[in-house]
Amino acid sequence: MDDFYRHRYKKMMLIPLLLFIPLIIAVFVFPGVSPGTDLTGGNVLIIRSDKALTETGIRDALAEFNLPELKVSTIASPTGFGAWISYSKDPIVARAEDAIGRAQDLISSAAGDTNSQTTITPANEAASIALSNQALTDLGMPTAEFKNSKLALLAAQDGLAAYKENFSGKLQNALTQKLGLGVNAEFQKREVSATMGVATTQSAIFIMLVGMIFIIIVIFLAFRQFIPSVAIIQCMFFDALCGMAGMVILNIPLSLTTIPAILMLIGYSVDTDIMLTSRMLKGKDGTPAQRATASMITGITMTGTTIAALISMLVVSYFYQIQVIYEISAILLFGLIGDMTATWLLNAPILLWFVERRNRQ
Amino acid sequence: MTNIFIKNWQITLLVVILILSISAIAFSGLKLGLDFKGGTLYQIELQKQVGTDEISRIANIISRRIDPSGLMDATVTPVGGQFIAVQVSETDPAKLEQIESRIRQQGKFEATLNGETIFTGDEISRVLRGGSGYGVGKVGNVYEWRLPFVLNETASNSFTQKAFHQCSVTLGSNGKPAYDCAKTIFFLDKPEALVVVSQEQYDADTALLLEGSGLEGIPAGTSLEEVISDSQVPVVIYDQNTIFDTNLLQTTLKKTTLAIVSPDISEKVKNDLNALGFNVSVAALKQNIPWVWGVLNAKQVISLTADVTNEDVADVSQAKPFGTLSISGNRATFEIAKSDLEDLTILLESGSLPTPVKSISKETISPSLGEAFIGNILLMGIIALITVSLVILIRYRVPKLVIPIVIIGMSEIVIMLGFLALVQRPLDLAAFAGIIAAIGTGLDSEVVITDEILGKSKHSTESVMHRTKAALFIIMTSAFTIIAVMGPIILFSRNLPGLDKLFGFAVVTIFGSLAGIIITRPAFTKIIQKIVNANDKKMHEHHHAEELPPQEQN
Repeated sequence: MDDFYRHRYKKMMLIPLLLFIPLIIAVFVFPGVSPGTDLTGGNVLIIRSDKALTETGIRDALAEFNLPELKVSTIASPTGFGAWISYSKDPIVARAEDAIGRAQDLISSAAGDTNSQTTITPANEAASIALSNQALTDLGMPTAEFKNSKLALLAAQDGLAAYKENFSGKLQNALTQKLGLGVNAEFQKREVSATMGVATTQSAIFIMLVGMIFIIIVIFLAFRQFIPSVAIIQCMFFDALCGMAGMVILNIPLSLTTIPAILMLIGYSVDTDIMLTSRMLKGKDGTPAQRATASMITGITMTGTTIAALISMLVVSYFYQIQVIYEISAILLFGLIGDMTATWLLNAPILLWFVERRNRQ
Repeated sequence: MTNIFIKNWQITLLVVILILSISAIAFSGLKLGLDFKGGTLYQIELQKQVGTDEISRIANIISRRIDPSGLMDATVTPVGGQFIAVQVSETDPAKLEQIESRIRQQGKFEATLNGETIFTGDEISRVLRGGSGYGVGKVGNVYEWRLPFVLNETASNSFTQKAFHQCSVTLGSNGKPAYDCAKTIFFLDKPEALVVVSQEQYDADTALLLEGSGLEGIPAGTSLEEVISDSQVPVVIYDQNTIFDTNLLQTTLKKTTLAIVSPDISEKVKNDLNALGFNVSVAALKQNIPWVWGVLNAKQVISLTADVTNEDVADVSQAKPFGTLSISGNRATFEIAKSDLEDLTILLESGSLPTPVKSISKETISPSLGEAFIGNILLMGIIALITVSLVILIRYRVPKLVIPIVIIGMSEIVIMLGFLALVQRPLDLAAFAGIIAAIGTGLDSEVVITDEILGKSKHSTESVMHRTKAALFIIMTSAFTIIAVMGPIILFSRNLPGLDKLFGFAVVTIFGSLAGIIITRPAFTKIIQKIVNANDKKMHEHHHAEELPPQEQN
């Protein structure tokens, strides 16, 4: 162990290099990381209860609602039971929203021109009222002879809000009754519109790209040498891939919770690489191979303390069903295990090679 | 004495910052985020991208719609040009439905005259913003704002009837007729409640209204009695001798169970109201705003003008209906006139958002879920700390090392919490994740420092100085990578939708990294140096005693 890198260190690189291929496939092709409700839009209902929850029980309880793209997952921990239910938009809501949108377009196209005093044309006015009434009919609510298109639109929008709130109330009631949940059951709701999901996805991709570019700049500025910098960056990608592979394995979707986890992972994983690179390029103690070995011991301590903390977080968050922390720690754990592979089997050999070649010249 | 403090400035700095952080937490307190106290987050998407002015105007309108009296503690933040984030501490489904409706539509705007409603927000077709009659102009020494708007047909007919001959004519000194016209009062979301005001508060309000307040849209000489009668809200003026009119209370109870009372109403009266079946809510007093005026949500007093009251026509049947009305007022400065005009435009336009809402996304977190969280998370922190200490102990076998690592870890938590308290950001799960991230990198740095200084001390050719410098370089670079990767979130979260949840995370992580390189890690380095020095001394003595062969040097 004193001189881990003395012999045949170049062969070590094969392991992470070969792992790149299945990782890329698993994360991006099949099965692939699935985007969560934050990014796709849809509805999520989270239940916590002191009664056991089963997937089939929940599916049966919700059968009458014909929820599109229904997904159910359950969790049991010593402190209670939980279920995570997601479904895409109710078709009735989708139809009503569409009618409301068109009714609104007719009104706003008239109001768009603020400098003129023209108001909505009688034909558009009538069409807009008809659309609002159609939305109300879809929602199973009474229509009316509205005085003007704005009032009709407001009634339709109110109707929609009431319908949605009512609908999720009905879902909760059905679950509470059919599953026999007590008063202690807690419900948490999230509703994301499809367009909001698209917007969030774009924002997330953008900040991740900018973050990557910034981090690359920092690393190049710090080390000012091409190969060592590239070695750190490839390691960063490898770690992110491993974290995302963890998401695939544990069925954790990409969401506003897991994006910070990936960013955090990048921050952590780069630490060991920076330490290694700095010691390899600037250190004076011993041979390069000995420095690499010493760095590995330090690095494994660094990652080891973090992994120890993560395991305890993982256990406690699983125990108490704190989903956010559970997801973050799981991703970090996978990523850091990947980091040990990438840093000590790939980055260290590359640097060793680089330093030995530099010393020979 | 001072020498020690300066010599160990790193530790002195840490202690000072710790004291500051603890006082920040003690004095400003930690705000808990939605994740902990429960609440609802709305993401509102507008139909199209709009400019900065427009989006803040829309945010302003929405904020007034949701929370006209400012009592609900709602935060409304525009994000970029198309999104608005709204946070309320409400989880009751019925209330949430109401809030969602309010986001989409107006608060109920009413203009009243002589105790009657003359038109409502629904009846305003549009404000002629951008028309030639709209804006602020200089008239003589003062600035006049003018706000023209269009009423729909039904409303304009009814207005013409009700405003008919509401001015009394006197002959002015210059021979021209002068008009003294009735006043209309504008309300936005009049409360559906019984209002109980103490005699003292009523008197104070009367005086304030008579005096007038330019900022609140109250002209001098406004009568509180008129405001109350126009509002048609049941208001009880209470002093010790008041006996509640049971008839009034019973009829009110049929419509609403809410009773709003002024802060100086005694507990006994509140209990009495409670016993009668009212839910009593105390509305706070805001500086310079008459309490009753604020509670009734009165917004403006506007005088009618002779040109809309058909003074020249003898009979109401011949009166000319006015579809377009224009209201105006004089203010001393251009700025005041402009801000008044903007406020009123928002008020009248609240019937229609300048750009309509396309979709509303929302997330509700139940408060009881929140309470349990805090305890669990504390437990998690303690367990994590213990496991980390064990790993450190096993690795270095120097029990003394565990203490500084634990102390520094705890200090980082305290400093970050102090920071949150100071900048009044809520502690939510995102901020909590940020604290974990910062402590995690802190731990990495502590291991680097320990290994550079302590681990290598036995057989290194490098000086302590050089080793400390090497450790510093590693720590700085790693902190800057964190800042690089989190920075974009802070830079763009005000412009890109959906990122506000990540903002707290990024802020805490970056602050934690900065606090780490400036405060806690230098202090840690100093402590480790002291431990190494002590150890070296001991080892030295050891060598002499056992005559160990010197370490091999490479």
